[in-house]
Amino acid sequence: MGAAAAGGFIAWEGTLAQSSMPAHVSVLAVIALALAAAGVMGRSRQRRPSAAWLRDGAVAVRDGLACPGRRPLALRIGVAVWVVLAAATIGWDLTSFLHQSHSLPTLSRFVGAVTRAAWGRATVFAAWLALGAYLAAGGRRRP
Amino acid sequence: MTAGAVVWAVIGAAWALWLLASSTVGPLPGPLRVVRALVGSWAGRALCLAAWGGAGWHLFCQRP
Repeated sequence: MGAAAAGGFIAWEGTLAQSSMPAHVSVLAVIALALAAAGVMGRSRQRRPSAAWLRDGAVAVRDGLACPGRRPLALRIGVAVWVVLAAATIGWDLTSFLHQSHSLPTLSRFVGAVTRAAWGRATVFAAWLALGAYLAAGGRRRP
Repeated sequence: MTAGAVVWAVIGAAWALWLLASSTVGPLPGPLRVVRALVGSWAGRALCLAAWGGAGWHLFCQRP
């Protein structure tokens, strides 16, 4: 029943135009629902306090990029590659956006080419919903 | 193919190779491990949800 409703919602969303009111209302409703679900489901169930998470994340990135020998080699390489790829993607997208040139397409222009079709919009929307569901509810401690 | 599209192709190929490698080679931190680490605290989860919401609004409501 839930899966059928989700499938129907995704298929309906695929038919909407980006500038239409139903598209705006439905996307905002999904975002509000995800934020509310994250708040309700996450009370006392986060795995780590935010301060410790920030501190340990910064240390892991620093060790991965600048302090050889302090962590396993595979972990250091992994962190470095993730950081470099993310920085390259964000940096090039920002560069393309600032130039506003047809020879420098932004990432959203490529995605826009897919979401222009109903099936593409529905597929990307389904992936976006799945990611949001995990971000709101996944990776928690058991109560 | 424009110069910008070539750069995107290179970045995309690098992502594909890395996602394949990090998903299959055990000791490397794969995408699931990274996402799990990102949502490990309220701060990380809030950042991820903000980025997710912004991306959704841009992709499904703003692109012409």
